[in-house]
Amino acid sequence: MSSRIPIVPENTIPLPSLKANNGLLSWVASVDHKQIGIMYLIITLVYFLLGGLEALLIRVQLAHPGNDFLTPETYNQLFTMHGTTMIFFVVMPFLIGVGVYLLPLMIGARDMAFPRLNALSFWLFFFGGILLYYSFFTQSGAPDVGWFAYAPLSEKPFSLNKGPTYWALGLLASGIGSVASGLNNVVTILTMRTPGMTMRRIPLFVWMMLVTSLLLVFVIPIITAAFAMMLLDSLLGATFFTPAHGGSAILWQHFFWGFGHPEVYILILPAFGIISEVIPVFSRKPIYGYEFVAASTVAIGLLSLGVWAHHMFAVGLGNVANAYFSLASMLIAIPTGIKVLNWVATMWGGRINFATPMLFATAFIIEFVIGGLTGVAIASVPIDWVVTDSYFIVAHFHYAIFGGSVFAIFAGVYYWFPKFTGRMLSETLGKWHFWLTVIGFNMTFFIQHFLGVMGMPRRTYTYYDMPYWGSMNLISTIGAMILGLSVIVFVWNILASLRHGKPAGDNPWNAWTLEWATTSPAAVENFELVPPVRGRRPLWDLAYPDMPDEPGAKIV
Amino acid sequence: MSVLNFLGAAWSFEPWALIFAAALLASYAALPGFRLNGRSLLFSSGVLLMVLTLVSPLDHLGRNYLFSAHMIQHILLLLVIPLMLISGIPESAADKALRLPLAGAVMRFLGNPVPAWLLGVGSMWVWHMPSLHDIVMKNESLYIAQQICFVLSGFIFWWPVFAPARRARLSPLAATLYLASACLGCSILGMLITFAGAGLYPAYANPTDSAGILSYIRNDLCITPGVDQQIGGLTMWVPGCLIYLAASMATLARWYASPEPGPAGIPAVEGPLAKADSYARD
Amino acid sequence: MANNRMIVGFFIASESIFFLMLILAYVNFHGSVTDGPTAANSLNPVVTGIFSLFLFASSFTIWLAGKSLRNKNHLMLKVWILATIVLGAVFIFGQGLEWSGLIEKNITISRNVFGTTFFTLTGFHGFHVCVGLIMLSLLLGLALAGDFKGPKSDAVECISLYWHFVDGVWVVVFSVIYLWAFL
Ligand code: HEM
Ligand SMILES: [Cu+2]
Repeated sequence: MSSRIPIVPENTIPLPSLKANNGLLSWVASVDHKQIGIMYLIITLVYFLLGGLEALLIRVQLAHPGNDFLTPETYNQLFTMHGTTMIFFVVMPFLIGVGVYLLPLMIGARDMAFPRLNALSFWLFFFGGILLYYSFFTQSGAPDVGWFAYAPLSEKPFSLNKGPTYWALGLLASGIGSVASGLNNVVTILTMRTPGMTMRRIPLFVWMMLVTSLLLVFVIPIITAAFAMMLLDSLLGATFFTPAHGGSAILWQHFFWGFGHPEVYILILPAFGIISEVIPVFSRKPIYGYEFVAASTVAIGLLSLGVWAHHMFAVGLGNVANAYFSLASMLIAIPTGIKVLNWVATMWGGRINFATPMLFATAFIIEFVIGGLTGVAIASVPIDWVVTDSYFIVAHFHYAIFGGSVFAIFAGVYYWFPKFTGRMLSETLGKWHFWLTVIGFNMTFFIQHFLGVMGMPRRTYTYYDMPYWGSMNLISTIGAMILGLSVIVFVWNILASLRHGKPAGDNPWNAWTLEWATTSPAAVENFELVPPVRGRRPLWDLAYPDMPDEPGAKIV
Repeated sequence: MSVLNFLGAAWSFEPWALIFAAALLASYAALPGFRLNGRSLLFSSGVLLMVLTLVSPLDHLGRNYLFSAHMIQHILLLLVIPLMLISGIPESAADKALRLPLAGAVMRFLGNPVPAWLLGVGSMWVWHMPSLHDIVMKNESLYIAQQICFVLSGFIFWWPVFAPARRARLSPLAATLYLASACLGCSILGMLITFAGAGLYPAYANPTDSAGILSYIRNDLCITPGVDQQIGGLTMWVPGCLIYLAASMATLARWYASPEPGPAGIPAVEGPLAKADSYARD
Repeated sequence: MANNRMIVGFFIASESIFFLMLILAYVNFHGSVTDGPTAANSLNPVVTGIFSLFLFASSFTIWLAGKSLRNKNHLMLKVWILATIVLGAVFIFGQGLEWSGLIEKNITISRNVFGTTFFTLTGFHGFHVCVGLIMLSLLLGLALAGDFKGPKSDAVECISLYWHFVDGVWVVVFSVIYLWAFL
């Protein structure tokens, strides 16, 4: 072979520098799971900042009644893009990205089962996002129909602009990428485990990624089909969702939420996984009830497929249907509650070290329980009829997604940053970040429960000057500013620690799963030698050969 | 007729149901190693529940008045009762039976998940095709065949998951996929029935009011044919699925309870590790 | 490796959900068309049925191709792959005929919900057949280049798995669209 052809440079150091010769190419052309994982994290951070900026603009507009900081059109575009970005281009790809980095390490493998497919997934996500954001630069502007894009609003003749088309195309591309990641994860977890790493010993994060990945594989095609139909409607004049021509707008809602509800579990299950890794390590105890945490995940995954119509209580499906869906939705609280009990029981009597990851994990439990409780409340039809489409719902899902998934993401970043980069994040800045987040978050969203009960509708660019509405919204906006500040601290912490952070060493937290057995950042081939796996905490067994987790595993 | 009277009078001890039950009990007693214990109690309660389902007022309601009553019957016969029967068979009996030449072949056939799945899910779909359902409602012998078919196909469906002999069972993850896909199959049917317009099963629209409780059903309980059909569809969908879900939880529980294969065969490669953990274990 | 077959299996499961949604959309609108074209008044089940036989036959030939490979019969491997391609192409040709006939009668995707659901469902299926044909052609090229020594080849097995799936989907689609309307 001629040596003229630019060959993709071999990466000889764990994370090639951009400044090096061919540095950029060695990233773009990479099929290494660690590099791809890092790229996921960087891109999601960018989208997190974008989505956060959109949120701040929304909150400024809502700071007082009758504000005209944003036009109604811009407002609609911003809240659509905010929701879409945060769900599809921040939380989901972040969790996929962490998974891509950690799964092979945690199960003692060299890479994913299909490294090139892995790269394809990433680039589909990357270009899907660009497609979505490109809509801002088109004449008609970004999509303005909400992250749920209800028909017939999203259809001709109500949406003549191309925003919803970009929305559907961008999400279609990244969705196909997600299916590919799901497939890759499932096969990796099922077939690439190191000897001894049986399915009953895999770390809980891996277990939850398995269930999440199966959800991706089986749930994304629902929305892929719906996007295809929506695109056919807008581009070829098909009539799936246009009631005026015999179509059905309700069908869109069924399809969207048939995907949408499992989707929220795609957002939360890996977060549960992160929490299930962090809490034992910082409580210095093995997880309490591994079996229950694992099995309840399967239960949640299966139940989540059958409850979507709780988003449609106001549609008029009939009392019987509402009653059944209400019951099924409440059932999900049982396996979720089991998990919470297990985490608390793990902390109970442990020697808790409140480092930043643990702070976020602890706060996660509290905030997520609030979101879960409001969830159970609105799963009851009469309550939902009162508060649906109000700010109560906004409060509910922010407690679930921000207080849940995003808090877990922060916990995960502080926990694994040393492994990703070889340096610790600053604890001081971390504590600042944590407290600003907790204060800002609760200030922004707790009060929205009351606003919702008082009747303030969501998805509108402004509101009437009803008693207290103005001041309560102002409080919420100030909270959002504090949250914005916390994000600045977070980014600052990352940038500063990348340069000057304390060197981490292989296992700074004295953790027990395999990813900590290799160097930080993880070596190119992941492991020189994979430690023997004889239990759920291989590094514990290695450090204490005479008191292994599984009694039979004593090394003689 | 008042409701109480109806509940008292609408029992129909049809001989075929009793014969079927007796046949089940007899073949159970003939199993090698039969003993009276918890398992045989489970098996006989399964048979008892089956008899109740077939002769009680539920049957009368399901055949004459309410699609939803039919559906409850259906779920019991296809999912609940066979599960009780199968769990009632002692493992030792299966082991002994495996040694008989014919039984071994039968069990291997039963253990094949693809036909079992098709039979389990297919019997829901096929018997609920509106035209077939209509015919069955009018034809006594077809009706009997349907009920027996439910129990038998349910039995075959559960076999790969809960077969008495451990060897015949699917691995827990495969079993979960098996059950989840079956759940999907039954959900879709439930969905279609729930959201299809009222009147999918015309037999229930204007029932002949043989027992005189129609006005109670329609006016006091407010169960119109449309509502009735929705309850039926949703019963198949939600509680039906919950049974599959509970079953997959049971397989996972069984899996976690069984001992992990020993550490033998794991290469003892030592990793480059610092022995840093200085905390004691609780 | 078992990896390859496993991922194709899960991929097929995922694709099944995709088709399930398209079928559900078709079923949802079946019977809601009050005037204009419907399956019953505008489709020809016999002609499509005959073309379907070609597709069903191609499942058989791809199975024979795999069998030839297992017996290390390289000539028959190529012959049977080629036969599969031809049979699949005939099916697609039939679908093209059907579509152009409909479009001539001004029955299009935008005419009414029957047109919408019919063209979407058969269109996506046809698209999958075409993708399958491309993969089969690649397979044929590789086979001609002598790539498959046998007795096992993941590429052959995975692609034939996919092809069986495409075929199986058509069994369902054909029943839902044609048999339902005419039986
Ligand atoms: C205990 C479990 C939960 C229950 C019973 C529940 C129930 C509900 C209900 C009934 C609604 C619809 C309210 C309405 O629009 O009227 C809803 C909305 C929502 N939930 Fe939950 N929920 C739960 C957990 C979660 C979790 C864990 C997440 C995310 C990680 C989540 C995210 C959302 C979102 C995003 C919406 C709003 C969708 C929209 O209309 O834009 N929920 N929830
Ligand atoms: Cu939901």
